[in-house]
Amino acid sequence: MESKRSWFAWFRFSPVGATLLVVGAVFAVLTPTFLTWNNLLNVCTSASVVAIVGLGMTLAIASGNFDLSVGSTAAFAGCITMSVVPQIGVMPAIALGIATGALVGWVNGLIVTELRVPAFIATLGMLTIVRGAALIYTRGRDIYLFGKTDYKILSTGITPALLALAIAVFFGLLLKQTRFGRHILATGSNLASARRVGVRTSYVLWSVFAIVGATAALSGLILSAQVLTGNGRLATGLELSAIAVVVLGGTPLTGGQASIPGTLFGSLLLAVINNGLNLLNVSVFYQNVTLGLLLLGALTLASGWTSRPGHVVTKDSKVRNKQTG
Amino acid sequence: MRFRDVKENINTSIARKQNLSGLSDKPQILSMSSPPQDRERRRAATDWDLLWEKFGIATVLVLVWILAVVGTPRFANLDNLASVLRQSAFVGISAVGMTIAVLAGTFDLSVGSTQALSAWTAVLVASHYGVVPAFIAAVLVGGIVGLLNGSLVVLIRIPAFIATLGTMFLISGLTFILTNGQSARFNGKDFVWWGNGQVGGVPVPFIIFLLCALVGIVVLHRTPFGRYVFAVGSNIRAAHVAGVPIGRTVLFVFLAVGLFTGLGAALLGSRLYSAGPGLEPGFELNVIATVVLGGTRLAGGRGSMLGTIAAAILFATLANILNLNHVDAFVQRVAVGLVLLLALSVEGIRQRLVERWSRRQRPTNPAH
Repeated sequence: MESKRSWFAWFRFSPVGATLLVVGAVFAVLTPTFLTWNNLLNVCTSASVVAIVGLGMTLAIASGNFDLSVGSTAAFAGCITMSVVPQIGVMPAIALGIATGALVGWVNGLIVTELRVPAFIATLGMLTIVRGAALIYTRGRDIYLFGKTDYKILSTGITPALLALAIAVFFGLLLKQTRFGRHILATGSNLASARRVGVRTSYVLWSVFAIVGATAALSGLILSAQVLTGNGRLATGLELSAIAVVVLGGTPLTGGQASIPGTLFGSLLLAVINNGLNLLNVSVFYQNVTLGLLLLGALTLASGWTSRPGHVVTKDSKVRNKQTG
Repeated sequence: MRFRDVKENINTSIARKQNLSGLSDKPQILSMSSPPQDRERRRAATDWDLLWEKFGIATVLVLVWILAVVGTPRFANLDNLASVLRQSAFVGISAVGMTIAVLAGTFDLSVGSTQALSAWTAVLVASHYGVVPAFIAAVLVGGIVGLLNGSLVVLIRIPAFIATLGTMFLISGLTFILTNGQSARFNGKDFVWWGNGQVGGVPVPFIIFLLCALVGIVVLHRTPFGRYVFAVGSNIRAAHVAGVPIGRTVLFVFLAVGLFTGLGAALLGSRLYSAGPGLEPGFELNVIATVVLGGTRLAGGRGSMLGTIAAAILFATLANILNLNHVDAFVQRVAVGLVLLLALSVEGIRQRLVERWSRRQRPTNPAH
């Protein structure tokens, strides 16, 4: 009884983390190759791509917005970087790519704060525009980088995982330890109140969107480095996976709260499941179904504990009302 | 008796929402910072607001058509106009349902995958059992997905964004599994007529689109359900206090989205002679963009079906003009995104101007 309760408490503390452990254990038993170094490295790499942009998205959602344009931004930044590597070298090209992403994000922020277009629509418009720009820039063709193995370093070994971890630690400290982090959360909890108490919400939102753009660009660079090929269709649908991962990690869409470890676990869980299904020779077609079921299942469990009518509110359960529909 | 109370409550709340009573519904930022004296001026501003909301996009559509007729010689011929209207119908029918959803303050991201599944079902059933069962099956599939979405949102209380995102992945995966990645094909005459035929020069899908919009208008403005939709979208707590059955309303809203999407999907299948997984990528975002471009607020409670019709035709017109002028497909995406952003910034820019003006009147405003 006692042990069951504590297990339960642990599960409540981090549902994604617990699920990740269980799912990982199941795959480890079912397939001999799951727990090999190479395979785990693969899992980490594919998790990192989503995790990096997901971490940026966590900030955006914590600030009460979200960004649908990250997939397009990733593609645009990837294409630009790939095309300039031969001319200006690897590191400047990477910097340029990330700057491009930040610029796109900053424009998103401007549209949201200055033109007062709701973030959903503003970033939806930018999704189309930036994707179009990427396709125009590449003229719809592929960009190859032959022999530029320096660039490949972005996606080899533990680099992506290290990058994701570093960004996670950085964002975690940013949110918990700095004034800017508090301002992000304040803006997300209540924009009007935050403005009243002197938070310069416009600057906060510009910066957050720029950060999201930069992380999206980094994800795009890793994706393009994996295959040393860039094209305008890179990272299609990344925005929805990124949002899914954030929500899976327990960050509520209502803003004002963020779970950085949750986002990491969420992207790992997704990568582990896809990898495990591949190892078990399950058709790729089932991966979308899994993602859907996972999202709905996780959210059903989470909402069952927190926002069900008649639920006894305990001290530690964070009750989030106001999120009907 | 209870119903009358509800009705009156809702009437007042809607009146308030639409600023007919002179109160501002604009975010607290405005109402907190401004004393009651300048209500008069704000009311003048609000009238402008309502006008733009009602007729703005229709005006833009008329302007675009005039420009198109003048600037693009091939635009103004009957075949071309018919094809514009036909194209507008496939997004439009789904957008009719989505308008109801957005008015109720939610939306549905799963319409794209629902469309693929429904269209595939329609084509498959048409090739085996005929046209009527095909349409019934497609609408049924849409309805089932709609009910699933509604139950997730209402019964399990998952936010609509995530619930429909989940069903989007779920249904698109399911479609891939069911179809094994293959498209269904059928070109029987009776079936294909629904997507390609004309009645008196007007394309059949467009007629069906208008009928759907008419049904939507009647439901929204002439039935208790329609009132409930506006009430829930305007202020869900007030609606709850007024006795509106919120759960049932939201469930029916999602059902409506599913049913309309199913119907539109069947027509698309008939238009293309075939349908399969990944039918129209990004369809859900197109539909939402159409609704929002039509002047319906994402926050819910305000908007109109007429705007949605105009916006659907406007998007089809833009694509058509760009095609006629041999504009690259990639540039077209940029153009469509820009139009969306421009149309939606108008409101924000106007707000800012009004604010700047009122600030100049009262320089000691501590709020900004």
